[in-house]
Amino acid sequence: MNPHIVVCIKAVVIKASRGRVVRTPDNVRLNPFDLPAIESALQLKAQCGGTVTVLSMGPPSSRIALAEALAMGADRAVLVCDPCLAGADTLATSTTLAAALRKLAPYELVLFGVRSSDSDTGQVGPQTAVGLDIPLVTGVHRMEPRDGGLRVERTMDLWVETFEVDFPAALTIRPEAARPRDTALGGLAQAFDQRKVELLTGADLDLAPERVGEAGSPTRVLSIKPVTHERRCRFLEGETAEVADQLMDHLIAKGLVD
Amino acid sequence: MDRLMSDKHRAVQRSVRDFCERELRPIAAEIDEEARFPWEVVEKMAALGYFGIQVPPSLGGAGLDSVSYAITIEEVSRVCGSMGLCIAVHNSVAVYPLMAFGSEAQKDRWVKPMARGEKIGAFCLTEPNAGSDAAAVTATAIAGDGYYTVNANKVFVTNGGVADVCLIFARTDPSAGRKGISVVVAERGTPGFVVGELENLCGMRANPVGSIRLNDCRVPADHLLGREGNGLLIGLAALDVGRIGIAAQAVGIAQAALEEAIQYAKQRRTFGVAIENHQAIQMMIAEMATQVEAARLMVYRAAELKDKRLPFTKESAMCKLFAAEAACRVTDAAVQIHGGYGYSKAYAVERYYRDARVTRIYEGTSEIHKLVIARSVLQEA
Repeated sequence: MNPHIVVCIKAVVIKASRGRVVRTPDNVRLNPFDLPAIESALQLKAQCGGTVTVLSMGPPSSRIALAEALAMGADRAVLVCDPCLAGADTLATSTTLAAALRKLAPYELVLFGVRSSDSDTGQVGPQTAVGLDIPLVTGVHRMEPRDGGLRVERTMDLWVETFEVDFPAALTIRPEAARPRDTALGGLAQAFDQRKVELLTGADLDLAPERVGEAGSPTRVLSIKPVTHERRCRFLEGETAEVADQLMDHLIAKGLVD
Repeated sequence: MDRLMSDKHRAVQRSVRDFCERELRPIAAEIDEEARFPWEVVEKMAALGYFGIQVPPSLGGAGLDSVSYAITIEEVSRVCGSMGLCIAVHNSVAVYPLMAFGSEAQKDRWVKPMARGEKIGAFCLTEPNAGSDAAAVTATAIAGDGYYTVNANKVFVTNGGVADVCLIFARTDPSAGRKGISVVVAERGTPGFVVGELENLCGMRANPVGSIRLNDCRVPADHLLGREGNGLLIGLAALDVGRIGIAAQAVGIAQAALEEAIQYAKQRRTFGVAIENHQAIQMMIAEMATQVEAARLMVYRAAELKDKRLPFTKESAMCKLFAAEAACRVTDAAVQIHGGYGYSKAYAVERYYRDARVTRIYEGTSEIHKLVIARSVLQEA
């Protein structure tokens, strides 16, 4: 059926030293939660043909994440990059990605990781699907092709839900869905030496300035500070059976077991 | 250098680091203890191109540059020195001379399967009485009726226990002195090709270092690499490249020791505080970090000179000398910071300490490197 699969990925920040987010090539990498989405796309392509495009919005340092996705086997990489997009929250990001996806149309499937490791909102996938007005299933851990669409499974607490979705559709992919392949050194050489990351600017997207970047963002991150976990150590004393009882009492009192 | 690392180099570093942390870290102590060659990981490394890092894609390799090569060796060695050694030696002193001096037919025959890791390479120069004094080799390869009859006793062969393709340095003209030495390629399985006992080494124990003996082994005449009499030239060219790999390996081991020392210094408490607060420890950590950084820069520079096709013999000797000496100092300090625990197999630093030691000895001792550097520096003046 040769679907065009677009995987939206993010170059996440590895370290925010002293609470400052600095996106330099040394300090960003492909969001680990996006890897199973890329892998799922590549496996679907292996099964039913088609092409895999990876798409990201971010500063120029995001190129490295897109090139890493090319090295894994993606066919095409597109970066939406423009200073006017800086300061975007999840809504402005989703608006921008939806506009870029319209440029990449036609597509059958849009995949996202369930969340990003550096901001952890889980909002961009669902919001982008809403922006595109296409069906969405979140938290998918399994998918198989069917005529004109997919059959997908997601786990909700103790239930497994099965959906049939028609193309075009959007999915957010859980890490269990697919174990990402290791990148071969030859793939990296080819991705960085021979292949290009295509660029889209704000002007390419036909979006009003007030809908993108900081202007299009109703939320603000006021500050970031590291969370410190204080560890305490308590020694239990007595016979083994007594120690075990004390330990159980302690765990029950903490609500960790019942 | 314009930039320390390009995006490609960063991506190579992450990719190799992630792989090694997941696949090698959990078994690194065990394979050292058991002196076991981990085929299960070697096969995965082979599939990812680790055995043909700089071989062009047309011959089945990854087609990366020398800086990427150094980074790969560093990252593998950071987790497991023995495997860093395996791929460093295979890529540099086995595959590289075959690419640089081999005929098209020879590249087809050996480089292709070696780049895919289906055949492992070894460099067989050292003999019981020839090592630093390379011209003293006594192995012979006597030509006649389309074959060389090779007799050799090669020792301390890295990858010896698993090597399929061996570059044998032997005298094709026993009367010609230095100019009588040639390289013939012997394949495991040829009658007369004997894999001897493995060495019971202090470090690098997961690498099957051993002896290879050729007893009246008939090697086809077209297995001669380059021309007769060019053996030492091929050997020296291979070692120029090999040294970058060994230096990168030393940097990786030193980096690992530095990381362990930092982590330990933050956990271990004496006199009421974490020992990282003691100036004595801070002095050591500062020295270690500086040594590692300097060694790494020297390795990258030598590799970059090679990539730019500029002379790099002096720089490769310097980086090998400096990195090996640094690795020994840094791993020694890491053991010291760990105190008694550093001397125990319960912590990884004792392995790093043992693994680092040989980097001052193999592929040219520190002392030989000083001679190479001195010759080069004095000639420049």
